[in-house]
Amino acid sequence: MLCALLVLALVLQDRLVAVLDVPVLRTASTVFVAVCVQAMPFLVLGVLISGAIAAFVPTGALRRLLPAKPALAVPVAGVAGVALPGCECASVPVARRLMQQGVAPAAALAFLLAAPAVNPIVLVSTAVAFRDAPLMVPARFVGSLLTAVVMGWLWTRFGKAGWIAERALRRLPERTGTSRWAVFAETARHDLVEAGGFLVLGGLFAAVFNVVVPAAWLEALGAQLLLGVLVMALLAVVLALCSEADAFVAVSMTALPLLPRLVFLVVGPAVDVKLVALQAGAFGRSFAARFAPVTFVVAVLSALAAGVVFL
Amino acid sequence: MRRETQNVLLVLLGGALLKLAFSGTYLRYVKESLQPWLVATGAVMILLAVVAIVRDLRRGPTVKDTEDTGHTEDTGHAGRSPWMLLLPVLAVFLISPPALGADTVNRSDRNAAQEAKPGNGFAPLPADQVVPLTLGEFVTRTAWDDSGSLNDRNVRLTGFVVRKDGRTYLARLMISCCAADASPVKVLAAGRDLGGLPDDQWVEATGRVVPGSATRDNAYVPTFTITGVTPITPPEDPYEG
Repeated sequence: MLCALLVLALVLQDRLVAVLDVPVLRTASTVFVAVCVQAMPFLVLGVLISGAIAAFVPTGALRRLLPAKPALAVPVAGVAGVALPGCECASVPVARRLMQQGVAPAAALAFLLAAPAVNPIVLVSTAVAFRDAPLMVPARFVGSLLTAVVMGWLWTRFGKAGWIAERALRRLPERTGTSRWAVFAETARHDLVEAGGFLVLGGLFAAVFNVVVPAAWLEALGAQLLLGVLVMALLAVVLALCSEADAFVAVSMTALPLLPRLVFLVVGPAVDVKLVALQAGAFGRSFAARFAPVTFVVAVLSALAAGVVFL
Repeated sequence: MRRETQNVLLVLLGGALLKLAFSGTYLRYVKESLQPWLVATGAVMILLAVVAIVRDLRRGPTVKDTEDTGHTEDTGHAGRSPWMLLLPVLAVFLISPPALGADTVNRSDRNAAQEAKPGNGFAPLPADQVVPLTLGEFVTRTAWDDSGSLNDRNVRLTGFVVRKDGRTYLARLMISCCAADASPVKVLAAGRDLGGLPDDQWVEATGRVVPGSATRDNAYVPTFTITGVTPITPPEDPYEG
């Protein structure tokens, strides 16, 4: 099957290149490869951490580290996101591994949302980008953490374990006789193959939106605050920029006031097309269909709240 | 999807990343600083696949079969998603998409360099006869440097030709992470007819700024009076950082 596909692609190479020789398609294919290439190192970092947790951390150890009460475990897990330097692609496999290790789903989800936005690398790049508006950094930190904690609490209150695909929660069978390194390599490989496919899917969406959404809209928006907030929130979802770069994009949108740009920074790492594809892969479609829209609303509101306080 | 196929796909994808990193084509998509990470990522992918292949071979067919049933169950739901990994592999090896160019510049009316901080002050330009400047720095100075440090100075800019609404620009793209966040920076070409040069043709142009031509109304796109122009091959890193 694979061989057949490869031979077919080789045979049709010239035709394929000719078809793609339209400016729009060339741009889209470049953006597609760029998103994939940019995200792969972070995904690999994530699956290696995930594999290491599976192989070397005893089941239940992480759960014992967190407070027993979910209401308390959620904010602790959110703040723990500071420790995972990387963008959102790394946090999905790690969050899933946390669930499999017995961490309460609410806490794992809070970690999932917080990690890409509150880690030091992202905060420093935000500070560098917004040299003239240093309050963007605490505003982003608080807005993102608030999003993560509120989502964790909402999950504690309303979430149903049944929405998460069974495969995401299944404990790893205790393999006696297999070395830990073998477990590590096999888990990392398995996570990589599975999440990688969804990452590519997300990259495809991002590339399509990148050429379809007219960037010229933005310039016309000007000072219409409410519209600006909405459009920036949607733009964060469809552009799927990595959280280390989005601040530089936001700072260049000088036509807009700071608040819509803060919304862009808070929504992006919590919910974007690439991330939704990864979540659908890791936790199942029925989970992603519920989780992503609610996260979107909560992230916008959290960003507005943080903006009112800091900006 | 069969385990063997997954491993082959991983090797191909890892190979694609290594090819990008070592051939220098990665600069079309991401920043230079990512290169060591791409090498490491490609190596890890191939290593994970090879470890799995070797272990499968060693264990022989009987053990592998039981293992396999466990895995088909595991990947049954996500089933076809790993096939997507083939797309970037094909894109890199067969299509090898070019660096972004005129098409991306014309998708936005923004001029990226305008945001640099007016308050920070500008270092004096070197006293050379012709000062080489990046397009980003040139545009920033024309927009924000009130001291007029560029007036009556000959500068050399490197960029590609872009046309829109009957006007000709010299442009370049700035990226901060990957090509998905590219934003254009451009100057309006005047003085010399660039009609013979196609879109996306890279040039080195010498000339002077028209003082006061970068205004809020034209999104801070300055006019550049060109006195000399040389077509060049595209630079290794097509973007400005």
